[in-house]
Amino acid sequence: MKLVKSDVPIYRQISDSFKADILAGRISEGEYLPSIRELAKDLKISVITTMKAYEELQQEGLVTSVQGKGFYVNAQDSEMLKEQHLRKVEEALNTAIAAADVAGMADEELIDTLKTLLSIKEN
Amino acid sequence: MEFNCSIKGENLVKKYKNFTMSIDELKIPAGFSTALIGENGAGKTTLLNILAGIKLDYKGKLTFYGKYDDKDRENDPFVRESIGYVGTDKYFMPQWTVKQIDGFSQLLFDNYDRDAFLKIYDELAISETGTYNPGKKISSLSDGNKVKLALASVLARDTDMLIMDEPASPLDPLMRDKLCDMIREYMSKKNGRTVFFSTHNIQDMENVTDYAIIMEHGKIVEEGFVEDLKEKYVLVKGEAKDEEEARKYLYSCSGSKYGFEGIALKDNLDKFDNMDVVVEDASLFQISVAIMKKNSKVK
Repeated sequence: MKLVKSDVPIYRQISDSFKADILAGRISEGEYLPSIRELAKDLKISVITTMKAYEELQQEGLVTSVQGKGFYVNAQDSEMLKEQHLRKVEEALNTAIAAADVAGMADEELIDTLKTLLSIKEN
Repeated sequence: MEFNCSIKGENLVKKYKNFTMSIDELKIPAGFSTALIGENGAGKTTLLNILAGIKLDYKGKLTFYGKYDDKDRENDPFVRESIGYVGTDKYFMPQWTVKQIDGFSQLLFDNYDRDAFLKIYDELAISETGTYNPGKKISSLSDGNKVKLALASVLARDTDMLIMDEPASPLDPLMRDKLCDMIREYMSKKNGRTVFFSTHNIQDMENVTDYAIIMEHGKIVEEGFVEDLKEKYVLVKGEAKDEEEARKYLYSCSGSKYGFEGIALKDNLDKFDNMDVVVEDASLFQISVAIMKKNSKVK
């Protein structure tokens, strides 16, 4: 788990990190996530923040909670999840396209911007 | 969110000559760490002393773990041994030595683990020589080391609840960080362990605060899980020309010729519709200070 300093609330950073791990298969079906208090200790954050992250994962159907045992990873319909994520990406890109329109950017300029951002991320 | 309580209080009243603490309902959630926040003189220590059994002359009803009352806390070894208390001072007699504290703890508590005490004593570097110093007098310890020693003696016991009065205040930044680590470790080692502490160092303790209770003038003025409070309150920033109007809906407001900034209820955000404002997440510190300012006599 890697938490980066950013404007994203900590609970969202945690749930996003687990989400990525689950979708990529790094945490497999049936496997238990670390216990809430164990993870809070390791990440040096409060129990309630960790709990909120796990609840979010549960709401999205990625994990199931078992009283007294913790949270385990559900079987994922990976095709459907990928589809969902693809839609999210398209949505975000559409917002960018609309903004570029307003700024009067040419298509090439927009693509170059995306490429620049990608190269910064890789570094 | 539903939760069980490690301590529940009903109609707790303690009267002094010029001050009355009056709490209709007190809830300390089980398995979480709760911070008690408030100005000097708000009644935090009075409340902690009632819970810890240091003050017995109060009115009202206390329930521990859902079924024990305050008599059980004194007489039932299970309840008595399950609570660890770290006070601000007078916890140990000044003329006592480290060895005597160790001895008293062994005598008083069956769940006291001497090896654990020596290990924590060593870990916290309580003695300046770096080794266990049994002859060291309590009166010769610094305030910080007194807290460390109290922590060592309490954490050496297998308890279910820790009650601490201002543990962070006398500690240096490094030790505050260590205190937070120790609280998180304490809670992760055994299921359902509860921590309740008062503090002025809200920022230092925020990452170990699950539930917050804010007290003013002997009453609870706000409480809740930190994540819920952060949903309830937001930080609003805007332009100086709107300050006067904005003030009506802000808990606390600091303004200058460059603009204003304050805490508002999220439910009231529509009141700022006609202004050019930026809305940000508020920290527990910002929320607490705003609520304290609203209730304070300090101008």
